[in-house]
Amino acid sequence: MRKSFAELNYYEMLDVSPTAAAFEIRQAYGTALQIYRTGSAASHSFFTEAERREILSLVEKAYRTLADELTRKAYDDELASRGEIDRPAQAGPDAKKPVGIFNISRVRDRQPVPANQESLKSKIRESERISELTARSSLSGAGLKEIREELGVAIAQIAQATKVRQDHLVNIEEDRVERLPAAIFLKGFVKSYLKYLCLEPVEELSARYMETIARLLRREGAQEQE
Amino acid sequence: MAHIWPIGGGKGGSGKSFITSSLGRLSAGLGRKTLVIDLDLGAANLHTLVGVPYPSKSLSDFLQKKTERLDDTVVETPFENLFLISGAQDHFAIANLPHEQKVKTMRAIMKLDYDCILLDLGAGTSFNTLDFFLISQNGIFITTPEPTSIENVYRLIRSVYFRRIRYGFSVSQFKALEEEAIEQFGEGASGRPEFMMNVIARDYPERFRELQKDFDAFRFRLIINQLHRRDNPALGAHVCRIIEKHMNLHVEFMGNVSYDDHVHDAICQQVSYLDRYPYTKTAGELRAAGRQIFQPAGRQLMLQYV
Repeated sequence: MRKSFAELNYYEMLDVSPTAAAFEIRQAYGTALQIYRTGSAASHSFFTEAERREILSLVEKAYRTLADELTRKAYDDELASRGEIDRPAQAGPDAKKPVGIFNISRVRDRQPVPANQESLKSKIRESERISELTARSSLSGAGLKEIREELGVAIAQIAQATKVRQDHLVNIEEDRVERLPAAIFLKGFVKSYLKYLCLEPVEELSARYMETIARLLRREGAQEQE
Repeated sequence: MAHIWPIGGGKGGSGKSFITSSLGRLSAGLGRKTLVIDLDLGAANLHTLVGVPYPSKSLSDFLQKKTERLDDTVVETPFENLFLISGAQDHFAIANLPHEQKVKTMRAIMKLDYDCILLDLGAGTSFNTLDFFLISQNGIFITTPEPTSIENVYRLIRSVYFRRIRYGFSVSQFKALEEEAIEQFGEGASGRPEFMMNVIARDYPERFRELQKDFDAFRFRLIINQLHRRDNPALGAHVCRIIEKHMNLHVEFMGNVSYDDHVHDAICQQVSYLDRYPYTKTAGELRAAGRQIFQPAGRQLMLQYV
């Protein structure tokens, strides 16, 4: 005995494969509407008005369920427990899926920080010089450089890992205020720098550095006026 | 045995005869001995489309027993390998073919020795059309994208479906089934073979399996003819999907044939469209459709239930 439309599962109603991606389901929904909507050429005279309404509401329900990732997952589990579809394989890397343009940078952020994190942290804890520098109320580029050298990290290493250009980092360390980038970029660069070196707390230290630089700038401005 | 392709479409003017003649020409052009039979009884005009405006013999010679064998009514056409059984100059009452005559004709068609036989069926859903359609599992439905035509083709498909169900039951059994279907699915179920099948599945499971097997073996196809530029080219696929999902009948979409004013010109000038305008889009689409029917899949149905 074959199934009537109401007995089909949602994938069969929309005529998509159970492994279809979200955009394919959206397209299938569009096609289904095109077929079943009132006044559609393809289904002209095939259904009574009542049947058409019922089919449209089923299609709507199917789409609502499959469009949302959570409800779709629950529905998949239900189908799989009834043996109608294979249990969705735990897909490995989502290589085929398109990457949302707003997710790219976030994915990068989550990438593992350098492997020597632990050793850096222990060095920071042990070194008196570093705790002295970070405890001060001002933090200049020279201070940062000293910390970095104390930790034994090359500047090129930081440039490579943080993707901040090396000449920017050098300018920061040398306190060449006139060559520093705009404040908003500078803050970001310094944060990456601090994060790479595992210096805590990043927010506070970067704020202190920005204040120091601002003071330096003001002083320079005053000198020029004289 | 020849492969028989009944070509029907419900609505008149959808291009059945034009498609039949074109497919016949294409098949003959490949060196296959091809016969086109005009079964649009009472409104025959296939002969004009294949270049035989005044056929010397016709189907009525066979029906009125002027000739013994159907073979003797075959006329040659100007095209190599293409032959015709015309319906021209029929007796005026021929449209109402009596049952014995019909069975006799069907038997005779089955015995003809050709590589490919195309049946040009009339509009409407008379029992003649339905029975000739069910002679083979390779039937082709033709419709235009207009809702009127689509409506008629659905009507034809349902009628063919019903006709096939009807063969297996006596009049009283069928009537009982009909009443049961209406009782269960409400008024309107009498026109819906899919509901009828549900009832049969319950009452006659044995017959149901037989019918189901038969329907699964059907290789019906659909051509959307006269597709205008602004029509939806996916229409044919959609129609097939509806039939598949809601009627449990497999119909394969064979392709679109675009609308072309030159078809009208060629018919008016009584020349072959494919020869006069071979490089048009429409001609290309006809050739593509022709290629598909040269690999037939279904078998011929025997006549045991007629």
